[in-house]
Amino acid sequence: MAEIVTVEKALWALCVLLTAGLFALLLYRKNHRVYPFLFTYVLITLMQNPVLFATYRVWGFDSPASTNIAWGVQGLVVAARALAVAEICRRVMGMYRGIWALAWRMLLVIAGLVLLYSWAVARPRWQAAILNSDRGIELAIAGVIVMVFLFAQHYEIQVAPADRYLAIGFLLFSCFTVLNNTLLEGWLERYETLWNLFGTLAFMASLLIWIWAVRETQEEGSLQPEMLSGVAYCTLAPEINFRLKTLNEQLGKLWYSEAKKH
Amino acid sequence: MSLFFYLFFGLVGLLLVLFAWSVRNLGKRGKTIADAGALEECGRGHVVHLPQIRQALAETDYSYLSQKAPAFVSRRIRQERRRVALAYLSALRADFQSLLRMAKIIARLSPEVVALHEFERLRLTVAFAWRYQMVRLQLGAGLMPIPRLDGLSDLVSGLSVRMETAMNELGERAVLAAEMASSFDGRGSDVA
Repeated sequence: MAEIVTVEKALWALCVLLTAGLFALLLYRKNHRVYPFLFTYVLITLMQNPVLFATYRVWGFDSPASTNIAWGVQGLVVAARALAVAEICRRVMGMYRGIWALAWRMLLVIAGLVLLYSWAVARPRWQAAILNSDRGIELAIAGVIVMVFLFAQHYEIQVAPADRYLAIGFLLFSCFTVLNNTLLEGWLERYETLWNLFGTLAFMASLLIWIWAVRETQEEGSLQPEMLSGVAYCTLAPEINFRLKTLNEQLGKLWYSEAKKH
Repeated sequence: MSLFFYLFFGLVGLLLVLFAWSVRNLGKRGKTIADAGALEECGRGHVVHLPQIRQALAETDYSYLSQKAPAFVSRRIRQERRRVALAYLSALRADFQSLLRMAKIIARLSPEVVALHEFERLRLTVAFAWRYQMVRLQLGAGLMPIPRLDGLSDLVSGLSVRMETAMNELGERAVLAAEMASSFDGRGSDVA
Protein backbone atom coordinates (compact mmCIF):
# COMPACT_ATOMS: atom_id res chain seq x y z
CA MET A 1 0.00 0.00 0.00
CA ALA A 2 2.82 2.39 0.93
CA GLU A 3 4.51 1.75 -2.43
CA ILE A 4 1.30 2.56 -4.26
CA VAL A 5 1.03 5.86 -2.40
CA THR A 6 4.64 6.73 -3.26
CA VAL A 7 4.14 5.86 -6.92
CA GLU A 8 0.92 7.84 -6.95
CA LYS A 9 2.67 10.89 -5.52
CA ALA A 10 5.40 10.63 -8.14
CA LEU A 11 2.82 10.28 -10.92
CA TRP A 12 0.84 13.16 -9.53
CA ALA A 13 3.94 15.38 -9.64
CA LEU A 14 4.59 14.23 -13.20
CA CYS A 15 1.00 15.06 -14.11
CA VAL A 16 1.40 18.58 -12.74
CA LEU A 17 4.55 18.98 -14.81
CA LEU A 18 2.85 17.68 -17.96
CA THR A 19 -0.15 19.96 -17.40
CA ALA A 20 2.18 22.92 -16.99
CA GLY A 21 4.00 21.80 -20.14
CA LEU A 22 0.73 21.62 -22.08
CA PHE A 23 -0.25 25.05 -20.80
CA ALA A 24 3.11 26.51 -21.86
CA LEU A 25 2.93 24.77 -25.24
CA LEU A 26 -0.54 26.17 -25.90
CA LEU A 27 0.77 29.65 -25.19
CA TYR A 28 4.07 29.22 -27.05
CA ARG A 29 2.40 27.88 -30.21
CA LYS A 30 -0.35 30.49 -29.86
CA ASN A 31 -2.90 27.68 -29.87
CA HIS A 32 -4.72 29.29 -26.93
CA ARG A 33 -6.42 31.50 -29.54
CA VAL A 34 -7.47 28.46 -31.53
CA TYR A 35 -8.65 26.44 -28.53
CA PRO A 36 -9.72 28.98 -25.88
CA PHE A 37 -11.87 26.48 -23.98
CA LEU A 38 -9.15 23.84 -23.99
CA PHE A 39 -6.78 26.49 -22.71
CA THR A 40 -9.23 27.40 -19.94
CA TYR A 41 -9.64 23.73 -19.06
CA VAL A 42 -5.88 23.23 -18.79
CA LEU A 43 -5.58 26.40 -16.71
CA ILE A 44 -8.32 25.26 -14.29
CA THR A 45 -6.72 21.81 -14.04
CA LEU A 46 -3.41 23.42 -13.30
CA MET A 47 -4.98 25.61 -10.63
CA GLN A 48 -6.78 22.62 -9.13
CA ASN A 49 -3.56 21.26 -7.67
CA PRO A 50 -2.49 24.27 -5.56
CA VAL A 51 -6.11 24.81 -4.47
CA LEU A 52 -6.39 21.20 -3.27
CA PHE A 53 -2.96 21.36 -1.70
CA ALA A 54 -3.86 24.49 0.26
CA THR A 55 -7.26 23.08 1.23
CA TYR A 56 -5.83 19.84 2.59
CA ARG A 57 -3.11 21.74 4.40
CA VAL A 58 -5.59 24.06 6.12
CA TRP A 59 -8.54 21.68 6.81
CA GLY A 60 -6.93 18.25 6.54
CA PHE A 61 -7.87 15.30 4.31
CA ASP A 62 -11.04 14.14 6.02
CA SER A 63 -12.80 17.38 6.90
CA PRO A 64 -16.19 18.17 5.28
CA ALA A 65 -14.80 21.54 4.11
CA SER A 66 -12.00 19.79 2.19
CA THR A 67 -14.49 17.35 0.65
CA ASN A 68 -16.80 20.16 -0.45
CA ILE A 69 -14.00 22.24 -1.95
CA ALA A 70 -12.43 19.22 -3.66
CA TRP A 71 -15.69 18.14 -5.31
CA GLY A 72 -16.58 21.76 -6.12
CA VAL A 73 -13.30 22.26 -7.94
CA GLN A 74 -13.78 18.88 -9.63
CA GLY A 75 -17.20 20.06 -10.84
CA LEU A 76 -15.57 23.13 -12.34
CA VAL A 77 -12.96 20.95 -14.07
CA VAL A 78 -15.62 18.64 -15.52
CA ALA A 79 -17.64 21.65 -16.77
CA ALA A 80 -14.51 23.11 -18.39
CA ARG A 81 -13.78 19.73 -19.99
CA ALA A 82 -17.32 19.56 -21.39
CA LEU A 83 -16.84 23.03 -22.91
CA ALA A 84 -13.47 22.02 -24.39
CA VAL A 85 -15.15 19.00 -26.00
CA ALA A 86 -17.95 21.23 -27.33
CA GLU A 87 -15.25 23.42 -28.85
CA ILE A 88 -13.75 20.44 -30.68
CA CYS A 89 -17.19 19.42 -31.93
CA ARG A 90 -17.68 22.90 -33.31
CA ARG A 91 -14.27 22.86 -34.97
CA VAL A 92 -15.07 19.54 -36.64
CA MET A 93 -18.52 20.43 -37.94
CA GLY A 94 -19.09 24.13 -37.37
CA MET A 95 -18.15 25.24 -40.86
CA TYR A 96 -21.03 23.20 -42.34
CA ARG A 97 -23.93 25.29 -41.06
CA GLY A 98 -26.79 23.01 -42.00
CA ILE A 99 -25.30 19.82 -40.63
CA TRP A 100 -24.00 21.56 -37.53
CA ALA A 101 -27.46 22.93 -36.75
CA LEU A 102 -28.78 19.38 -36.87
CA ALA A 103 -25.77 17.88 -35.09
CA TRP A 104 -25.61 20.10 -32.01
CA ARG A 105 -29.28 19.53 -31.25
CA MET A 106 -28.78 15.80 -31.57
CA LEU A 107 -25.67 15.92 -29.42
CA LEU A 108 -27.57 17.73 -26.66
CA VAL A 109 -30.35 15.15 -26.79
CA ILE A 110 -27.84 12.29 -26.69
CA ALA A 111 -25.94 13.84 -23.80
CA GLY A 112 -29.22 14.20 -21.89
CA LEU A 113 -30.26 10.63 -22.63
CA VAL A 114 -26.88 9.25 -21.57
CA LEU A 115 -27.08 11.21 -18.32
CA LEU A 116 -30.57 9.83 -17.67
CA TYR A 117 -29.43 6.31 -18.51
CA SER A 118 -26.45 6.63 -16.24
CA TRP A 119 -28.66 7.71 -13.34
CA ALA A 120 -31.29 5.10 -14.08
CA VAL A 121 -28.97 2.10 -14.01
CA ALA A 122 -26.79 3.27 -11.12
CA ARG A 123 -27.28 2.00 -7.61
CA PRO A 124 -29.70 4.20 -5.69
CA ARG A 125 -27.35 5.14 -2.86
CA TRP A 126 -26.83 8.71 -1.78
CA GLN A 127 -23.17 7.98 -0.97
CA ALA A 128 -22.59 7.21 -4.61
CA ALA A 129 -24.43 10.31 -5.88
CA ILE A 130 -21.26 12.27 -6.69
CA LEU A 131 -19.67 9.27 -8.34
CA ASN A 132 -22.84 8.71 -10.38
CA SER A 133 -22.92 12.34 -11.49
CA ASP A 134 -19.26 12.30 -12.43
CA ARG A 135 -19.68 9.04 -14.32
CA GLY A 136 -22.84 10.26 -16.05
CA ILE A 137 -21.14 13.43 -17.28
CA GLU A 138 -18.08 11.55 -18.46
CA LEU A 139 -20.25 9.01 -20.26
CA ALA A 140 -22.18 11.86 -21.89
CA ILE A 141 -18.89 13.49 -22.99
CA ALA A 142 -17.71 10.18 -24.46
CA GLY A 143 -21.06 9.69 -26.21
CA VAL A 144 -20.93 13.18 -27.70
CA ILE A 145 -17.39 12.68 -29.03
CA VAL A 146 -18.33 9.38 -30.63
CA MET A 147 -21.46 10.89 -32.18
CA VAL A 148 -19.52 13.80 -33.66
CA PHE A 149 -17.08 11.43 -35.31
CA LEU A 150 -19.93 9.26 -36.56
CA PHE A 151 -21.44 12.39 -38.09
CA ALA A 152 -18.07 13.26 -39.64
CA GLN A 153 -17.81 9.72 -41.00
CA HIS A 154 -21.34 9.82 -42.38
CA TYR A 155 -20.94 13.17 -44.11
CA GLU A 156 -17.31 12.48 -45.08
CA ILE A 157 -16.00 15.52 -43.27
CA GLN A 158 -12.27 15.90 -43.01
CA VAL A 159 -11.10 16.24 -39.40
CA ALA A 160 -7.82 18.01 -38.65
CA PRO A 161 -5.28 15.68 -36.99
CA ALA A 162 -5.00 18.01 -33.98
CA ASP A 163 -8.76 17.88 -33.37
CA ARG A 164 -8.72 14.12 -33.80
CA TYR A 165 -5.93 13.64 -31.25
CA LEU A 166 -7.57 16.01 -28.80
CA ALA A 167 -10.83 14.10 -29.14
CA ILE A 168 -9.04 10.78 -28.64
CA GLY A 169 -7.46 12.13 -25.46
CA PHE A 170 -10.82 13.30 -24.10
CA LEU A 171 -12.58 10.10 -25.11
CA LEU A 172 -10.02 7.79 -23.51
CA PHE A 173 -10.01 9.79 -20.32
CA SER A 174 -13.81 9.89 -20.12
CA CYS A 175 -14.14 6.16 -20.86
CA PHE A 176 -11.53 5.32 -18.32
CA THR A 177 -13.17 7.52 -15.69
CA VAL A 178 -16.49 5.75 -16.27
CA LEU A 179 -14.87 2.34 -15.77
CA ASN A 180 -12.83 3.53 -12.83
CA ASN A 181 -15.87 4.99 -11.06
CA THR A 182 -17.88 1.84 -11.74
CA LEU A 183 -15.15 -0.30 -10.22
CA LEU A 184 -14.92 2.03 -7.26
CA GLU A 185 -18.65 1.78 -6.66
CA GLY A 186 -18.37 -2.00 -6.72
CA TRP A 187 -15.42 -2.33 -4.37
CA LEU A 188 -15.39 1.00 -2.54
CA GLU A 189 -13.08 0.00 0.29
CA ARG A 190 -10.55 -2.18 -1.49
CA TYR A 191 -10.27 -0.16 -4.69
CA GLU A 192 -9.89 3.35 -3.28
CA THR A 193 -6.08 3.56 -3.50
CA LEU A 194 -5.92 1.98 -6.92
CA TRP A 195 -8.75 4.26 -8.11
CA ASN A 196 -6.57 7.33 -7.58
CA LEU A 197 -3.56 5.66 -9.18
CA PHE A 198 -5.42 4.53 -12.30
CA GLY A 199 -7.14 7.89 -12.59
CA THR A 200 -3.78 9.66 -12.51
CA LEU A 201 -2.35 7.25 -15.10
CA ALA A 202 -5.31 7.80 -17.44
CA PHE A 203 -5.02 11.56 -17.12
CA MET A 204 -1.29 11.36 -17.81
CA ALA A 205 -1.91 9.35 -20.98
CA SER A 206 -4.48 11.92 -22.13
CA LEU A 207 -2.06 14.76 -21.37
CA LEU A 208 0.60 13.15 -23.56
CA ILE A 209 -1.91 12.79 -26.42
CA TRP A 210 -2.99 16.44 -26.05
CA ILE A 211 0.62 17.62 -26.01
CA TRP A 212 1.19 15.67 -29.22
CA ALA A 213 -1.95 17.23 -30.71
CA VAL A 214 -0.94 20.85 -30.10
CA ARG A 215 2.78 20.48 -30.78
CA GLU A 216 2.38 22.66 -33.87
CA THR A 217 0.56 25.92 -34.40
CA GLN A 218 -2.97 25.30 -35.63
CA GLU A 219 -4.97 27.44 -38.03
CA GLU A 220 -7.30 29.75 -36.19
CA GLY A 221 -10.20 29.43 -38.61
CA SER A 222 -10.31 27.08 -41.55
CA LEU A 223 -11.58 28.26 -44.94
CA GLN A 224 -15.35 28.36 -45.13
CA PRO A 225 -16.71 26.27 -47.99
CA GLU A 226 -18.85 27.94 -50.63
CA MET A 227 -22.41 27.14 -49.61
CA LEU A 228 -25.19 26.20 -51.98
CA SER A 229 -28.52 27.99 -51.92
CA GLY A 230 -31.19 26.64 -49.59
CA VAL A 231 -33.38 25.90 -52.61
CA ALA A 232 -30.87 23.36 -53.93
CA TYR A 233 -31.24 21.16 -50.88
CA CYS A 234 -35.02 21.48 -50.75
CA THR A 235 -35.24 20.46 -54.40
CA LEU A 236 -32.71 17.66 -54.46
CA ALA A 237 -32.96 15.98 -51.07
CA PRO A 238 -36.53 14.68 -51.45
CA GLU A 239 -35.81 13.69 -55.05
CA ILE A 240 -32.73 11.68 -54.10
CA ASN A 241 -34.53 10.08 -51.17
CA PHE A 242 -37.40 9.06 -53.41
CA ARG A 243 -35.01 7.46 -55.88
CA LEU A 244 -33.11 5.68 -53.15
CA LYS A 245 -36.36 4.43 -51.69
CA THR A 246 -37.46 3.05 -55.06
CA LEU A 247 -34.08 1.41 -55.52
CA ASN A 248 -34.37 -0.15 -52.08
CA GLU A 249 -37.83 -1.44 -52.86
CA GLN A 250 -36.53 -3.00 -56.06
CA LEU A 251 -33.71 -4.71 -54.22
CA GLY A 252 -36.16 -5.79 -51.52
CA LYS A 253 -38.52 -7.28 -54.10
CA LEU A 254 -35.63 -9.15 -55.66
CA TRP A 255 -34.57 -10.56 -52.32
CA TYR A 256 -38.01 -11.46 -51.05
CA SER A 257 -39.15 -12.98 -54.34
CA GLU A 258 -36.04 -15.15 -54.51
CA ALA A 259 -36.30 -16.01 -50.84
CA LYS A 260 -39.91 -17.19 -51.35
CA LYS A 261 -38.80 -19.58 -54.07
CA HIS A 262 -36.60 -21.44 -51.58
CA MET B 1 -21.10 -8.88 -10.07
CA SER B 2 -24.31 -6.97 -10.85
CA LEU B 3 -25.86 -6.31 -14.23
CA PHE B 4 -25.26 -2.58 -14.02
CA PHE B 5 -21.54 -3.23 -13.68
CA TYR B 6 -21.51 -5.06 -17.02
CA LEU B 7 -23.82 -2.48 -18.60
CA PHE B 8 -21.25 0.28 -18.12
CA PHE B 9 -18.42 -1.88 -19.38
CA GLY B 10 -20.48 -2.90 -22.38
CA LEU B 11 -21.43 0.69 -23.14
CA VAL B 12 -17.85 1.92 -22.94
CA GLY B 13 -16.74 -0.96 -25.15
CA LEU B 14 -19.43 -0.09 -27.68
CA LEU B 15 -18.40 3.58 -27.67
CA LEU B 16 -14.76 2.68 -28.28
CA VAL B 17 -15.64 0.31 -31.13
CA LEU B 18 -17.88 2.95 -32.73
CA PHE B 19 -15.17 5.57 -32.39
CA ALA B 20 -12.52 3.29 -33.94
CA TRP B 21 -14.92 2.59 -36.81
CA SER B 22 -15.69 6.28 -37.32
CA VAL B 23 -12.04 7.40 -37.50
CA ARG B 24 -10.85 4.56 -39.73
CA ASN B 25 -10.91 6.56 -42.97
CA LEU B 26 -10.46 10.08 -41.69
CA GLY B 27 -6.87 10.32 -42.87
CA LYS B 28 -7.71 9.26 -46.41
CA ARG B 29 -10.49 11.78 -46.70
CA GLY B 30 -10.31 15.29 -48.06
CA LYS B 31 -12.53 15.03 -51.05
CA THR B 32 -14.63 18.07 -51.67
CA ILE B 33 -17.24 19.30 -54.07
CA ALA B 34 -14.52 19.34 -56.70
CA ASP B 35 -14.63 15.55 -56.69
CA ALA B 36 -18.32 15.52 -57.42
CA GLY B 37 -17.73 15.40 -61.15
CA ALA B 38 -15.31 12.51 -60.81
CA LEU B 39 -17.82 10.68 -58.66
CA GLU B 40 -20.52 11.18 -61.21
CA GLU B 41 -18.23 9.79 -63.90
CA CYS B 42 -17.45 6.82 -61.69
CA GLY B 43 -21.15 6.19 -61.09
CA ARG B 44 -21.99 6.29 -64.78
CA GLY B 45 -19.12 3.95 -65.70
CA HIS B 46 -20.83 0.75 -64.64
CA VAL B 47 -24.13 1.51 -66.29
CA VAL B 48 -22.37 2.02 -69.66
CA HIS B 49 -21.60 -1.73 -69.72
CA LEU B 50 -25.21 -2.68 -69.15
CA PRO B 51 -25.87 -4.13 -72.67
CA GLN B 52 -22.90 -6.50 -72.42
CA ILE B 53 -23.92 -7.59 -68.94
CA ARG B 54 -27.51 -8.14 -70.09
CA GLN B 55 -26.16 -10.29 -72.90
CA ALA B 56 -23.99 -12.28 -70.49
CA LEU B 57 -26.95 -12.95 -68.22
CA ALA B 58 -29.49 -13.60 -70.98
CA GLU B 59 -31.50 -16.75 -70.26
CA THR B 60 -31.77 -17.66 -73.94
CA ASP B 61 -27.96 -17.79 -74.33
CA TYR B 62 -27.69 -20.08 -71.34
CA SER B 63 -30.47 -22.40 -72.53
CA TYR B 64 -28.86 -22.66 -75.94
CA LEU B 65 -25.43 -23.45 -74.47
CA SER B 66 -26.93 -25.98 -72.02
CA GLN B 67 -28.39 -27.89 -74.93
CA LYS B 68 -25.34 -27.74 -77.20
CA ALA B 69 -22.32 -27.84 -74.84
CA PRO B 70 -21.23 -30.71 -72.53
CA ALA B 71 -22.20 -30.67 -68.84
CA PHE B 72 -18.88 -29.36 -67.51
CA VAL B 73 -18.99 -26.43 -69.94
CA SER B 74 -22.54 -25.68 -68.87
CA ARG B 75 -21.48 -25.78 -65.21
CA ARG B 76 -18.56 -23.50 -65.88
CA ILE B 77 -20.76 -21.05 -67.74
CA ARG B 78 -23.16 -21.06 -64.83
CA GLN B 79 -20.29 -20.17 -62.46
CA GLU B 80 -19.11 -17.44 -64.80
CA ARG B 81 -22.59 -16.00 -65.02
CA ARG B 82 -22.83 -16.02 -61.24
CA ARG B 83 -19.52 -14.18 -61.07
CA VAL B 84 -20.78 -11.62 -63.56
CA ALA B 85 -23.96 -11.16 -61.55
CA LEU B 86 -21.92 -10.63 -58.39
CA ALA B 87 -19.62 -8.16 -60.08
CA TYR B 88 -22.58 -6.30 -61.45
CA LEU B 89 -24.22 -6.20 -58.04
CA SER B 90 -21.00 -4.66 -56.65
CA ALA B 91 -20.96 -2.15 -59.47
CA LEU B 92 -24.55 -1.23 -58.71
CA ARG B 93 -23.62 -0.65 -55.12
CA ALA B 94 -20.78 1.59 -56.27
CA ASP B 95 -23.29 3.55 -58.33
CA PHE B 96 -25.61 3.76 -55.35
CA GLN B 97 -22.80 4.93 -53.08
CA SER B 98 -21.53 7.56 -55.47
CA LEU B 99 -25.02 9.00 -55.76
CA LEU B 100 -25.39 8.85 -52.01
CA ARG B 101 -22.12 10.67 -51.72
CA MET B 102 -23.45 13.37 -53.98
CA ALA B 103 -26.43 13.71 -51.65
CA LYS B 104 -24.09 14.04 -48.69
CA ILE B 105 -22.09 16.75 -50.43
CA ILE B 106 -25.30 18.67 -51.12
CA ALA B 107 -26.33 18.30 -47.45
CA ARG B 108 -22.87 19.35 -46.29
CA LEU B 109 -22.91 22.50 -48.38
CA SER B 110 -26.47 23.50 -47.62
CA PRO B 111 -27.14 26.28 -45.12
CA GLU B 112 -30.09 24.31 -43.77
CA VAL B 113 -30.89 20.62 -43.73
CA VAL B 114 -34.13 18.89 -42.84
CA ALA B 115 -33.65 16.24 -40.17
CA LEU B 116 -36.43 14.12 -41.65
CA HIS B 117 -34.72 13.86 -45.05
CA GLU B 118 -31.37 13.07 -43.44
CA PHE B 119 -32.74 10.32 -41.23
CA GLU B 120 -34.75 8.91 -44.10
CA ARG B 121 -31.60 8.69 -46.21
CA LEU B 122 -29.72 7.05 -43.36
CA ARG B 123 -32.50 4.49 -42.99
CA LEU B 124 -32.50 3.80 -46.71
CA THR B 125 -28.73 3.40 -46.73
CA VAL B 126 -28.84 0.88 -43.90
CA ALA B 127 -31.70 -1.00 -45.57
CA PHE B 128 -29.89 -1.08 -48.91
CA ALA B 129 -26.66 -2.28 -47.31
CA TRP B 130 -28.51 -5.07 -45.50
CA ARG B 131 -30.43 -6.24 -48.56
CA TYR B 132 -27.40 -5.98 -50.75
CA GLN B 133 -25.37 -8.16 -48.39
CA MET B 134 -28.16 -10.73 -48.16
CA VAL B 135 -28.54 -10.95 -51.95
CA ARG B 136 -24.80 -11.09 -52.39
CA LEU B 137 -24.33 -13.81 -49.78
CA GLN B 138 -27.10 -15.95 -51.23
CA LEU B 139 -25.90 -15.44 -54.76
CA GLY B 140 -22.31 -16.16 -53.79
CA ALA B 141 -23.28 -19.31 -51.92
CA GLY B 142 -25.34 -20.50 -54.87
CA LEU B 143 -28.56 -20.41 -52.86
CA MET B 144 -30.24 -17.99 -55.23
CA PRO B 145 -30.74 -18.29 -58.98
CA ILE B 146 -29.12 -15.56 -61.10
CA PRO B 147 -31.52 -12.64 -60.76
CA ARG B 148 -32.88 -10.24 -63.32
CA LEU B 149 -31.01 -7.02 -62.71
CA ASP B 150 -32.41 -4.91 -65.53
CA GLY B 151 -34.86 -2.95 -63.38
CA LEU B 152 -32.23 -2.02 -60.84
CA SER B 153 -29.68 -0.78 -63.32
CA ASP B 154 -32.25 1.25 -65.22
CA LEU B 155 -33.22 2.93 -62.00
CA VAL B 156 -29.64 3.84 -61.05
CA SER B 157 -28.93 4.98 -64.55
CA GLY B 158 -31.99 7.23 -64.46
CA LEU B 159 -30.92 8.68 -61.14
CA SER B 160 -27.41 9.40 -62.42
CA VAL B 161 -28.78 11.32 -65.35
CA ARG B 162 -31.20 13.24 -63.13
CA MET B 163 -28.43 14.10 -60.71
CA GLU B 164 -26.22 15.31 -63.52
CA THR B 165 -29.01 17.55 -64.81
CA ALA B 166 -29.67 18.80 -61.30
CA MET B 167 -25.98 19.58 -60.73
CA ASN B 168 -25.84 21.49 -64.01
CA GLU B 169 -28.89 23.45 -62.93
CA LEU B 170 -27.19 24.13 -59.63
CA GLY B 171 -24.11 25.44 -61.40
CA GLU B 172 -26.21 27.74 -63.53
CA ARG B 173 -28.09 28.99 -60.48
CA ALA B 174 -24.84 29.65 -58.66
CA VAL B 175 -23.53 31.73 -61.58
CA LEU B 176 -26.82 33.63 -61.72
CA ALA B 177 -26.75 34.25 -57.97
CA ALA B 178 -23.16 35.50 -58.17
CA GLU B 179 -24.09 37.89 -61.00
CA MET B 180 -27.08 39.17 -59.06
CA ALA B 181 -25.00 39.65 -55.94
CA SER B 182 -22.34 41.60 -57.82
CA SER B 183 -24.99 43.83 -59.46
CA PHE B 184 -26.57 44.48 -56.03
CA ASP B 185 -23.14 45.32 -54.62
CA GLY B 186 -22.56 47.75 -57.46
CA ARG B 187 -25.91 49.46 -56.88
CA GLY B 188 -25.20 49.61 -53.14
CA SER B 189 -21.93 51.40 -53.67
CA ASP B 190 -23.58 53.86 -56.04
CA VAL B 191 -26.18 54.75 -53.46
CA ALA B 192 -23.55 55.14 -50.79
